Amino acid sequence: MNKRTIVFSLMATLITLSLVFTGACSSEEGKPKPGSLKDPQEITLNLGGEVVTIDPNRASWSNERSVIMQCFDGLLAFNADLSLKAMVAKEIPTVANKGISSDGKTYTFKLKTNVTWSDGKKVTAKDFEYSIKRMLSPDLAAEYASFYFAIVGAENYFSATEKTAAEKTALRNAVGVTAKDDYTLEIKLNDALPTFINLMALWPSYPVRQDIIEQYGETWTAPPHYIGNGPFVLQEWVQQDHYTFVRNENYWGTKPYLTKVTYEEITDINVCLAAYRNNEHDQAGVPAGTEKAIMADATLSPEIVRYAQLTTYAWQFNVTKAPYNNKLVRQAIATAIDRVAYIDKVRGGVGKPTTSWIPPGMPGYDANLGSQYAFNPTKARELLAQAGYSDPKTLKIKFQYANTGTNPTIAAFLQAQMKDNLGVDLTLEPMDPKAYSALYNSKQFDSCFTGWGADYPDPDNWLPQLYGTNAGNNKTQYSSAQFDAIAAQALKELNETKRLQLWADAAKIVSDDLPMAYIFNRETFVLKKPWVKGQVTTGMDGQIAGDMFLREIYIQK
Amino acid sequence: MLRFVIRRILWLVLVLFIVLAITFILMHLVPGGPWDREKALAPKVVEALNKRYGLDKPLWEQFFNYIGGVLHGDLGISYSRSDRTVTSILMEGLPKTATLGVLAFILAQALGIPFGMAAALKQNSLIDYISVLFATIFASIPGFVLGILLMIIFSVTLHWLPTSGWGSVQQLIMPVLCLAALPAAQSARITRASTLDVMRQDYVRTARSKGLMENVVRVRHIFRNSLIPVVTVAGPELANLVTGSFIIENLFAIPGIGRMFVQGIGARDYSLIMGSILFYAITIALLNLVVDILYAAIDPRIRLE
Repeated sequence: MNKRTIVFSLMATLITLSLVFTGACSSEEGKPKPGSLKDPQEITLNLGGEVVTIDPNRASWSNERSVIMQCFDGLLAFNADLSLKAMVAKEIPTVANKGISSDGKTYTFKLKTNVTWSDGKKVTAKDFEYSIKRMLSPDLAAEYASFYFAIVGAENYFSATEKTAAEKTALRNAVGVTAKDDYTLEIKLNDALPTFINLMALWPSYPVRQDIIEQYGETWTAPPHYIGNGPFVLQEWVQQDHYTFVRNENYWGTKPYLTKVTYEEITDINVCLAAYRNNEHDQAGVPAGTEKAIMADATLSPEIVRYAQLTTYAWQFNVTKAPYNNKLVRQAIATAIDRVAYIDKVRGGVGKPTTSWIPPGMPGYDANLGSQYAFNPTKARELLAQAGYSDPKTLKIKFQYANTGTNPTIAAFLQAQMKDNLGVDLTLEPMDPKAYSALYNSKQFDSCFTGWGADYPDPDNWLPQLYGTNAGNNKTQYSSAQFDAIAAQALKELNETKRLQLWADAAKIVSDDLPMAYIFNRETFVLKKPWVKGQVTTGMDGQIAGDMFLREIYIQK
Repeated sequence: MLRFVIRRILWLVLVLFIVLAITFILMHLVPGGPWDREKALAPKVVEALNKRYGLDKPLWEQFFNYIGGVLHGDLGISYSRSDRTVTSILMEGLPKTATLGVLAFILAQALGIPFGMAAALKQNSLIDYISVLFATIFASIPGFVLGILLMIIFSVTLHWLPTSGWGSVQQLIMPVLCLAALPAAQSARITRASTLDVMRQDYVRTARSKGLMENVVRVRHIFRNSLIPVVTVAGPELANLVTGSFIIENLFAIPGIGRMFVQGIGARDYSLIMGSILFYAITIALLNLVVDILYAAIDPRIRLE
């Protein structure tokens, strides 16, 4: 929230944009026993804050995704273990099945012929062509459009904000997405990009209805016009209050057990927990810091659901500013942080300490990476002396952060760690979240606290965007010619083994140079009522734990 | 009287223009814009968004475009709820906030005025002490503390009331109590003080000495005159209540405009901020006008001209 002078503790995290994927996944209980289903099959969950938009092409926040996922199915989707599966597509395109050309630049998706919209019309390749081109439209200004710039003509079209309508149409027609026939979609890329396939499982590429959008314009997202091809239909949306979904009785796939899903919008996490205890909600987050008490509570502890997320929090340094431009200073700081104490003593054991960037559960995770920066105060003081600060008092460092959620806690912890383990004074500068983001984006900060969550589970979403020279999210201004060369090669590499090896090499360079001190990976900690069964949690969950597989949930008597 | 009202309304137009100008300037002075977030948007995306919402134009042009829109009844598109116009957001939230506000206002006055008056008429009695005690408690306990307390008692422990949300009478009870607590306490204190003051006035002594019945003195002389300070405070109080409380709306998940406004500031949702400020300014100015007219009705010595 958030995020927002007034911040909602629900959004206790700094990562708000995008999804967060997890390595771990859980599938309990499986299918319901006959006769064990409660009637009616209804569930009430809390979405937290209001969305910006539920238009799939334009959405970018995790709570928006929680809504979109119930109403739309894309060409592809993620399994519980984060591998890809075919959804509207008949199969996942590969070079072997001729879905991907041998140069890796042309993708051909064959569509299932039985997929329908909730009003009964057929979903065709034209719907996907329309949707992807709409998402790339300069007038729509979709926030995830830049992810799809690998498509031929995409960037040119999206950049045409100042062009005439005729010029825009010409650029639109030049975008390399074509419905060859009703059930064949062809996408041409500028260059080989083996991870492109992941983007076809993400919400901006989900199909939307041209006739509806042209008829209702921006308000097409209001029910009953919000027509999708997913397992649920949005029946009611009362702003800031609730969403009601009902089962899509025309659903082309296996129909869900649940006949009704309600998302409420409680923004205060304490109230969310109270609503759960009053049996108004079937699942709830808990206020940060109360986890230990909940684990000790005889009623609530059996209802705890915990799983790791693909999110890493790090102390970032502005490597162009003194003293942070001194690698030894950065190494000294990183070695002086007792991450285990933070997780165990401050966070009640929720989360996982880490010394490297890519989180466990993702390709490219290396448990040993960065182990030389594990907590060691003696070594930290030596490194600081080597850096030229034999008197630690002479080192002045500043730390900027958004004053929301648990950030003040980590800031105070790091300040104490610096004082106790290095004898260094860390000046804390808490800021309004938007003001902080502006400072961070302008790269004017000293050092700061920020996290990163996966858009899709691959190192190419984690390394080049943050460590490539002048890359969009490289705010530390880290620059390594060697890293850039390896990354450029890895992005295009079609051999999967070789590709991952290249990313491992690139990750090692970053780990040695240490533009950030990595602190911990996030863990979801929620409560779920015992009668809610069949829950599958994954790293792809949006704002609501388990929201990617609500279609599997059933309510037991 | 009519001239007075017309003149005040004409002034209001100027006041609104100045309020909007100041808000606009302050809004753009605050660091961070609507598209700033930690996971940076691509520069081309920011460019397209600015173009879409007209933020690529010079500030003065943006301001006059906005004023032009307002004159045509168009408050623009919200950035943080981009499927919606600001007008529709305000129109949807306002009735909810106003319902809560008006109910809380009525409850506050219905409790505050009688208790304050009773306390003054029976000064230093048990009812006076009880009234002062409760007024002090309700004036000093923050709304969110009271709200959480009520929730723990009536929802979590007794399971009598839903914790939050909108739509049923039960859902109104706790937020209305929380909103009414402070104004009720203020009303009681002001009524008590002003009644004590009026009771010592010469005209009250005169009324008694000419042999009027005590009840007539109380109703005609004391009650009416002691209301002037109460009305003075009640105007802004009502304005405050109907424009919504972020804390109470956030706590009880009320889809009202108080919550939207503060979220709008956090999101740097310029059009939502401007629209809300415009609404607040009009509400406060109109209620002040009503207070002035009520003065004249209560006290014939006050002339509007």
